This record gives sequence, structure tokens and C-alpha cells, in this order.
Amino acid sequence: MTTSNQNTVENQPLITKKELTRMCFNTGALGMEYSWNYPRQMHMAFLLMIDKQLKKIYKDNPEGYAEALTRHMEFFNITPQLAPFVGGIVLSMEEERNKGLIDGSAISGVKAALMGPLSGIGDSIFLGCIRVIALGVGLSLAQQGNILGPILYFLIYNIPAFLVRVFGAHLGYDLGFTYLQKAQANGTMDRLMHAAGILGIMVIGSMTCDMFWAEVSLKIGSGETAQTLQEILDGIMPGLVGLGVTWTYYWALGKKVGPVKLILLTVVFGIVMAYFGIMAA
Amino acid sequence: MLLESILLGLVAVWGVLDYQFGTLYTFRPITTGPIVGLILGDFEMGITVGASLELIFMGAISVGAYIPPDVVVGGILGTAFAITTGAGVETAITLAMPIALIALSISNFIAALTPAFLKIADDAATKGDSKRITKVHWLMGAFGVVEKFLLVSLSFYFGVDAVQAVIGSIPEVAINGMAIAAGMLPTLGFAMLMRMILNKKLVPFYFLGYTLTAFLGMPVLGVAIIGVIIVIEKFGFLDNSKKFATADGVQEEDMDDDDF
Repeated sequence: MTTSNQNTVENQPLITKKELTRMCFNTGALGMEYSWNYPRQMHMAFLLMIDKQLKKIYKDNPEGYAEALTRHMEFFNITPQLAPFVGGIVLSMEEERNKGLIDGSAISGVKAALMGPLSGIGDSIFLGCIRVIALGVGLSLAQQGNILGPILYFLIYNIPAFLVRVFGAHLGYDLGFTYLQKAQANGTMDRLMHAAGILGIMVIGSMTCDMFWAEVSLKIGSGETAQTLQEILDGIMPGLVGLGVTWTYYWALGKKVGPVKLILLTVVFGIVMAYFGIMAA
Repeated sequence: MLLESILLGLVAVWGVLDYQFGTLYTFRPITTGPIVGLILGDFEMGITVGASLELIFMGAISVGAYIPPDVVVGGILGTAFAITTGAGVETAITLAMPIALIALSISNFIAALTPAFLKIADDAATKGDSKRITKVHWLMGAFGVVEKFLLVSLSFYFGVDAVQAVIGSIPEVAINGMAIAAGMLPTLGFAMLMRMILNKKLVPFYFLGYTLTAFLGMPVLGVAIIGVIIVIEKFGFLDNSKKFATADGVQEEDMDDDDF
């Protein structure tokens, strides 16, 4: 009788769903980049995120708790929205650690192994895709002076961000590390990154022709039939000038010309163009 | 003037606290611009200047270990100077990036000193004292709060006359030239972003997005929806959903077989 009872107790997850959801909104989880520092980056915030659950796991084992705190003072860095996911995984492992099933170094190893691939995927989804879509929608409204622009930008970026935080914490805790290992081995992670890349780059391509406002006003021909060079170029392909300028910048950045230098060069270029009346704003 | 300087400083404080409230990305010019506009009495101009600065800073995001120019300070001061001097978007753009770079180097200097406090947190960890680690967490961020508050409010308080004088002495042709540059520079933001995420496999999709807008005039949201459809089709998220979702499951079985 007692054995079967113990079994059910052991099979019950120690951290409740409610606690996992709450974890996503504590000082550490939300402040992942607040105490960011060069040598160890998000380590303290990560530690504070899982602190309450660590206390619960190690409640009869103060040495184990101190050891866990020391372990999580090590370097950590990730796309902040994915930190609760890693937190979930780490908590499931810390439970096994408390039972003596695994080594502390295994937990550190898993954290270190997750950082690179998850940051790659997280940055492409959040910064390279969702943020770009949010900007695409928000900017065109904001440029007309409409406050809905910034508001929509805020919502489009943050609603998915918080869903991923909460969903991630539960997923990480339920699945543990082995699942992720498999996801990486069979290429799921790469495919997700590629998918986010497609979405992001399509939006960037679209915005390239919307967000270029300078005009090549030089007139070609004379009298009634005179056309500006811009009109001729747009006749070939709309937005051709903007496309050319974008790829010129892209090329220059690849040659390690910094953005500030490019801005100054552009201003000089603009003044020359204005002086000769070739371009207009 | 003093009140405005302090209020602008508080916007910068929020820009740092944003990182404590879930990295909401409200520290960007698109969201700080309207608030700066509200403080300086031209809400609408705040929105439009903020939007223009956002385009320039679009690629200035922290990816991996890259620390971008200080978009909080650059965005707030750029917008503020543009509104108070009445010089508009051109000024904002030419001022914001240099300001952001100076601010970055100041932050870097402070960031070189603060890790000294990590020793306290390390000691606390070995003693199992997470309360003290919480304190160090707040302390580390507080440096940024104070730094950016002082930087923005002092620069605005002492800088606005100087900026006004410089702008007043710029000849007409240079103003026009700056306006042309301001129209070109948004694409620099895109180029910086492309440097980060573009690879050979993505180039066709760049031109697909471009073509949809250039020839059909499709708005960005429409392009994004088509992008979602392409991704669903290309990766079989729906029709092969079983295969995709259980791609791991299939492997799991294989692995189980191996185990036994």
C-alpha cells in the first residue's frame, strides 16, 4: 500500500501549473535584461526567475539549494521570451538532481547547450520576424501621425511574446531536455528558423519600396514631354531607386563600413545632389 | 525648460525599466517619440519623428553579443531636438545616431565597472541567500536608470540652445541635402537588419515581398499573410501536420526500439 502511495506522490509533478505561469511574471522572468552585464549577462535574472521553485524543490536540502544558486550564477544568455522555457526544463532537471539522479554539471551543460540554438531561433522569430511585422503595420500609421501605429506595434509584438513565455514554461517543464535534443537532431529547429526568416525577409522586402522617400527629380527631355528620371525608373520597375540604395548599403555594411559613416556619407551625398538639383526630398 | 528636461529624463528612465517589465520594446523611438511629443506639446510630430527614427534604428537591435547604439537616448533626444528647434525629421535623423553612439560609449564605460558587484551576489549564492541576489539585480539595473536619466535631462537642458544655434546657421542647400538623406536613410535600417537575417535561401523571398508591394501596392500586413501561407505550405504545417508534429514522435519510437 505504502509503496504505491509513494509512487503516485513521486509521479505527481512537484511544480504546479499555476506556479509555472506565475514564474513567467516574476522579477527575474520579466527583468531578464535589467541586470544584464558583460561577463555573465542574464545569469542573475534567470536565477531569480526559478528561485521560488528551487526553494520548493530543495526545501529539505539547504546545501542542495545553495549549490543550485551557485550553479545558476554562471553565464546565461538567451532571447528573453524563451527564458521561461529554459526555466521549465531546468526545473524538471533540478528535481532529478534533488533525488540524486543526475549531476549538477548536467544541468549547467544543458543550459549552455540550449543558449546558442534557442537564441538563434528566438532572435529570428521575435526580432527578425514578429517585430518587423509589428513595425510594418505600426510605422505606416505612425508616419501619418496616427497614435494607433505605436499602439498596434506594441500589441503585435508583445501578445505573442507573452504567450510564448507562458506556453514555453509549461512545455519546458513537461517535456524536459530530451525532447529538445531530438528537435535539434531532426532539424525542426532549423526549419523553424528558416520559416521565421521567410516571413521576416518578405516583410522587409515589402517595406523597402514603401519607406524610401527621396526622389530623383532631374528632368530628361524638354517641354511638355519632359519626365523626371524617377518617373522613367519607376516605369521600368516601381521603387527601383530605393532597392538600389538598400543593396548599396547592404554591400557597404558587408565591407565593414559602419552605420554612422554611412549616415554622414549619405548626408554629404544628399547635399551634393541638392546643390546640382539632381534629387529632391 | 527645467520641467521638460526632467520629464524627458523620466522617459529615459522608463526606457531602462522596460527591460524589467519584460523587454516590451517600448524603449524604441516609435513608442518614445509620441511621449516626447506629448511632453513638448506637439504630440503628432512626436509620432511622425519617432516613426522616422525607428526606421533608421530598425537594424540597431541587440542580437547575440552585439550591443547596438543607444536607441533610448538617441531616440528621445533626436525627437526632442527636432520638435523644440522646429527643424523636423531631417535634424532628428542626423542628430540621433551620433548621440546614440556617444551614449553607447558612456554605457560601455559604466558596464565595465558594475561587474564588481557580482562578487556580492556570488557570496550570497554560496550562502543560499537569494534576497541579496535580488538586491544586486536591482542595483545593477539602477546604474542604467541613473545614467540615462542624467544623460537625457542634462543634454536637453544644456544642449537645446546650442543645437538651435547650429541649425539656424545651416545654409538652405544643406537643409535640402539633409532632407534628401533623411528620405534615403530608412533603407539603411533595412540593410542592417538584412545583414543579420539574410542568407542565400531567403533572397527569393525578399524579392517576392518587394514585388508584391512594388507592382501590386500590397500593404505590409498583406505581404505578411502571404508569408504565413507560404510557410504553412512549404513546411506542411497543416496537410502533413501529423507528420510534422510527430516527426519527433516517429523518432521516439525508433529510439525506443533501439533501447530495447
